[in-house]
Amino acid sequence: MELEKITGGRVGDFYYRFRHPSGLAIYLYPKESCSTAYAVFGTRYGSIDNCFRRSDEAEAETVPEGIAHFLEHKLFESEEGDAFDRYAETGASANAFTSFESTCYLFSCTDRLYDSLGILLDFVQHPYFTTETVAKEQGIIGQEIKMYDDDPQWRVMFNYLRAMYHAHPIRLDIAGTVESIAKITPAYLYRCYHTFYNLHNMALVLAGKFDVDKVLALCDKLLKPSASVQVERVFPEEPESVVQPKVEERLAVALPLFQFGFKENGSLPRTEWDLAAVEILLDILASEASPLFRRLLDAGLINESSFSYEYFEGAGYASILFSGESQNPEAVAQAIQEEAVRLAQDGIPQEAFERSKRALYGENVAALNSTASIANGVLNLSLKGRELFAYIDAIAHLTLEQVAAKLELLQAGRSVLSVILPLEK
Amino acid sequence: MIQKMSVHPIRKGVTLKSFTDASFKTMRLSVNMLAPLSKQTAATYAILPSLVSRASRQYPDYTALNCRLEELYGASLHTCVRKFGGYQSISLSVSGIASRYAFGGEDMFAELSQLLFSVLLDPLLDGDGLFPQAGFLQEKRQLLEMKDAEYNDKMAFAHQRCEEILFQGEEAGLNRCGSREDVEALQRETLVAAWEGLLSSARFEIFTLGDCCPDPAAIAMHFEKAGRPHALGLVPYREPEVRRVTEEQPLSQSKLSMGFRMDAAPEERMLFQLASAVLGGTPSSKLFQNVREKMGLCYYCSSSVSSASRAMFVESGVETANLEKAEAAILDQLSALQRGEVKEDELRFAKLALCNALHSVEDSLGAVENWYLSRTFDNGGQTPQQAAEDVMGYTVEDVATAAQRIHLGAVYRLKGGEPG
Repeated sequence: MELEKITGGRVGDFYYRFRHPSGLAIYLYPKESCSTAYAVFGTRYGSIDNCFRRSDEAEAETVPEGIAHFLEHKLFESEEGDAFDRYAETGASANAFTSFESTCYLFSCTDRLYDSLGILLDFVQHPYFTTETVAKEQGIIGQEIKMYDDDPQWRVMFNYLRAMYHAHPIRLDIAGTVESIAKITPAYLYRCYHTFYNLHNMALVLAGKFDVDKVLALCDKLLKPSASVQVERVFPEEPESVVQPKVEERLAVALPLFQFGFKENGSLPRTEWDLAAVEILLDILASEASPLFRRLLDAGLINESSFSYEYFEGAGYASILFSGESQNPEAVAQAIQEEAVRLAQDGIPQEAFERSKRALYGENVAALNSTASIANGVLNLSLKGRELFAYIDAIAHLTLEQVAAKLELLQAGRSVLSVILPLEK
Repeated sequence: MIQKMSVHPIRKGVTLKSFTDASFKTMRLSVNMLAPLSKQTAATYAILPSLVSRASRQYPDYTALNCRLEELYGASLHTCVRKFGGYQSISLSVSGIASRYAFGGEDMFAELSQLLFSVLLDPLLDGDGLFPQAGFLQEKRQLLEMKDAEYNDKMAFAHQRCEEILFQGEEAGLNRCGSREDVEALQRETLVAAWEGLLSSARFEIFTLGDCCPDPAAIAMHFEKAGRPHALGLVPYREPEVRRVTEEQPLSQSKLSMGFRMDAAPEERMLFQLASAVLGGTPSSKLFQNVREKMGLCYYCSSSVSSASRAMFVESGVETANLEKAEAAILDQLSALQRGEVKEDELRFAKLALCNALHSVEDSLGAVENWYLSRTFDNGGQTPQQAAEDVMGYTVEDVATAAQRIHLGAVYRLKGGEPG
């Protein structure tokens, strides 16, 4: 097997990348000095994948919402018992999560790594669902959906997405709804499992203290070769416009929460350079060193502990968003829009650009301390066809013009403001 | 194995702990001031670290200071107010990348420590010798908004209410930042004296961590007049009477938070951590396996220990109709633990999970600082490795005997219902 060594230039790190004969993409990022090893095994399958076409089938298929997340819960079970019980034997700290675009199974440990890795590779490759276990899980996930119903951060986000997207499944709740999960059967679970948990659609990342040869030997032993089937994501046509520019809801909160952002044409491809350019732009525009942040703070419109921004993008969707708590979210949204216009008119100052590049570089270097942050970062990037060090390099080499070009993404006509207000007394 | 941690007593009440490890890509310098928690000073002390770190004499403006931090590769100047039992911990820290990654050739420790010591010891004041009015108003507003945010997060809110009820009338029941009324009543004119008072009266726990090799003598010279040697200890144990409070909010899922007092000796910290882990600290624990999995009574149900408070908390998210059943089921599991009904595997799994967490501590600078800072309240010099050895030595009988000294003191129910 040919291991490709990917090096990180200025940051001094490296990792190995290769395609295992089973079809699985494997990334090994050694950090000998660590006590821990962190492993994550993920599939390119998230809540947006409710309509798909397999490369070995002619027709696209639509399934109920919430299956990716449901599968994540169910995969921990087997006829012999629960994967958590098996991890208990090794002491590893294990977990899993489902996002819009991926489902990931992970653990971190300081001892018995190869036993834990064996458990991970085994249970994710061995689905086991029965009518009874599915029925029980419908109750548990129903509780989870209720818990998120009470979470104002969650609600402000999904209200935002529903106000922004007409048709793209990013607007759907990750866990589905109580009604949609009631439609889930073992047959649907097996169908989606065998489609998306094909090893060609998955990646394994290890970061921390481990022996490369031992990991590879275990992979050889436990990975089951899979047919080379590709899965195409099928999305409905998404208009460029937003559904509605403003959405409000009242919940038991003491201070309003907001999310404000701009819709971009999500179907266009985006590289590491695009990501880095938008992130530098956001730092220039709204970091704590920016004139905008200062104006908002002085006007009592935002606070330091909650205000944040993000480039939220993936398969078929992209949006620059700002969020936080504010007594007057409308005024915050207006100030952000005005600042984008001002920067476009006056130009971005060279010193602000250089400062933001330095800040982003430093944050990325610091993130390489943590095995969890490395492994999750490499996995997320790889499932989107991107590479960690290419992204860090892009930060160093981007020009002011490339960053300024991204200002056109902040278009007033395509913005959404989502607000959670306190209950009326 | 090379000992990475070294302890340098600077003077009575001021200690420097250095955790040197060049495999980290970052460094961190923290000054933690520990002061007895009291209603009179909690809100005042809580606003001070954010107030002093808004600007410095060299960068006398919020934006100028933040621009400087960005130039220093996105370094952060961070404040934190925490509570350890009856003590308030007021912290200022700086962190940033190691000098070897600074392509501009900066000595990062020199830059960062100069910044921290300047705001700590010589903060920016206005012409009247007060903290500037604009900054004061901003920080007061932000502290009040932080309290609002705590109300927005229902899990955190339920826990906080439970803790208040468990320690009603005691210092340990005070909010880490004082009450809303105390924050609203803050007067700018009193704050410079309060800061000077804090510097001279707090116990100082200073940390340098990661890829830096500071000179202890150079740090010591900044603290010649600071600090007082408080003897730190745990909240005294009192036999509790059970207090019950139910409040309602329009929520889909109710929250149940139960507070217990633990009759634990300082050296028994890990024993009680282990007892809590067996009860509800891991997926193999009694609460998870029985109350959540077998009985399906809640979506989450877990226990955790606040060692400095000598308290244990059980938190769960429950359907409103199941509140009574969940409470009874949780107490049943505690009773089983007290009777020693613990399988060898249950104990072994809890030990392994706890040891995994302990052996991971030295992979994070924040975790190292937390470990040694919280350790100043009981077993000062104990390393995570030594704690793990203690954990592995306990028997079922040890754990059951400890559990018999855990007593219910508060039940807080945040009951869901329809709006209006």
